[in-house]
Amino acid sequence: MAKNHVFVGLYGSGKTEIAINYAMKLKRNFEKVAIVDVDIVSPYFRVRDYQQMIEKAGIVVIAPPKNLSKADLPIITASVAGYLDNPQYTVVLDVGGDERGIVALGYLKEHLINTNVYLVINTKRPFSQKVEQIVQIAQNLEGRCGVRIDFLVNNTNLGSNTDANMIREGEKIVLQASKILNRPVAFTVVMNSIDFPSEISLFHIERYVKNKEELS
Amino acid sequence: MKKLMMKGVEAIGEGAIRAGCRNYFGYPITPQSELTEYMARRLPEVGGSFLQAESEIAAVNMIYGASSVGKRVMTSTSSPGFSLMQEGISYIACAQLPAVFVNVVRGGPGLGDIQPSQGDYFQATKGGGHGDYRLIVLSPSTVQEATDLTMLAFDMADRYRNPVLIFADGLLGQMMEPVSFEEKEVTYDNSAWALTGAKGRSPRQVTSFNIDPYGLEKMNMELQKKYRQIEANEIRYEEYRTEDADVLIVAHGTVGRIAKSVVKMAREEGIKAGLFRPITLYPFAYEALSNYGEKTKLVLTVEMSSGQMLEDVKLSLCNKTRIEFYGRMAGVVPTPEEVFAYLKSLIGRQ
Repeated sequence: MAKNHVFVGLYGSGKTEIAINYAMKLKRNFEKVAIVDVDIVSPYFRVRDYQQMIEKAGIVVIAPPKNLSKADLPIITASVAGYLDNPQYTVVLDVGGDERGIVALGYLKEHLINTNVYLVINTKRPFSQKVEQIVQIAQNLEGRCGVRIDFLVNNTNLGSNTDANMIREGEKIVLQASKILNRPVAFTVVMNSIDFPSEISLFHIERYVKNKEELS
Repeated sequence: MKKLMMKGVEAIGEGAIRAGCRNYFGYPITPQSELTEYMARRLPEVGGSFLQAESEIAAVNMIYGASSVGKRVMTSTSSPGFSLMQEGISYIACAQLPAVFVNVVRGGPGLGDIQPSQGDYFQATKGGGHGDYRLIVLSPSTVQEATDLTMLAFDMADRYRNPVLIFADGLLGQMMEPVSFEEKEVTYDNSAWALTGAKGRSPRQVTSFNIDPYGLEKMNMELQKKYRQIEANEIRYEEYRTEDADVLIVAHGTVGRIAKSVVKMAREEGIKAGLFRPITLYPFAYEALSNYGEKTKLVLTVEMSSGQMLEDVKLSLCNKTRIEFYGRMAGVVPTPEEVFAYLKSLIGRQ
């Protein structure tokens, strides 16, 4: 199993949600797990916004310093490279959305040894609904950061309106893109509340990243 | 109907495109840059024009130009950017041109921060720029409503030849929800006034200028006549569990949603609570709200500001009931729990 796990994709594809869940899962098997917020694009709904909850689970959160955490600045914390290099730590990286956000990953390229890079796709998001669009996204992102994407992830969902049929349709689309790109689909993401028999491996998640109103 | 998972700002962009908007001029600012980006990506796909202006002042004047030739046109910004646009908006209002503006409000005053706020309520509803003018102001509370109201905004702008403002906050702009789009045929006819070249007809003028005070007063009277029509025809609001309510919460936009949760919590504890959610901030639902003066024991206004809509609530109710206020400022979003706790403290409940 790879030491470092990097999640990339367009903004709103669900990277942060999956990264948090993935770190939680890794924590069950590894003593030292760290999650890194290298989101230099989104102003809200970032790993840093859930820092307390993640730290409670015993996971190290690497995010911009507190006094700058709400700033509109592209900050990459200096210690990121150290954690990526440190053989004792299993590291999850949440990279900010699209071609601009992924520049941050290019900067860390030389530290991405023994690393899996996952492209997260929600086929219910704008500009990600068709096979050709997904292929284009993968090529654009790789072109911008010079880092190879190893796996695709099917994260097709409409939030609380998601059903099994929708996930299946999304899986078909992502599998077609996977064939063209010649990269396997690592897993399909399914919310714990949904029963979905898949042909490929499943990753069950809890929804941590919620809209303020959904909490109520 | 096919649904998509969209951010509030993306849903506003798609709503605009489906309403026939083919021209967008804007300058990026957090937390709404994704809207500018969405238009940059989508408009070329539908044969439209996108231009990133050099500033908000340039953008608003591009809007002025494009609307004067009768095209559906939109710009979007966030609080400090909206302040920069005020002079142009005043010109557009006086020249009686249709245009749609989006302000995804963030914490202020000044440079403020990039978190959600409703602190631009006065600016949106009481003028903002100079002179006697009004914007129609729509305050959505869900991503779906953001898209629906954007489509409505274009129709209203053309119907009244008046700028319309979508008043959203950063949270609504950034949150994602499933959205569906109504397949609607776009029809509008601006041929009676638009500047389309004077071939075969006498020239027309679009202007906000009249050096003769009596002439300018006449222009003002026309505007005022129009605003009375808007006040008579366009007031929109939502009432939720208000039939038997003796405690009424008044809140708009995202806070309207939070307040809805508070109403549910209160009902579970046997408190007869209801929600009044203004959807048009101008024209404000003074009359509909005034009916609650005698029916309620308490009206609690909740806002992400120091109490701006509160002034309109007070005007509606004229001291006929007890009026209280709960507000958070500067980008802090109130939780349903804290609002409920405050509500309970007001009525002496544990």
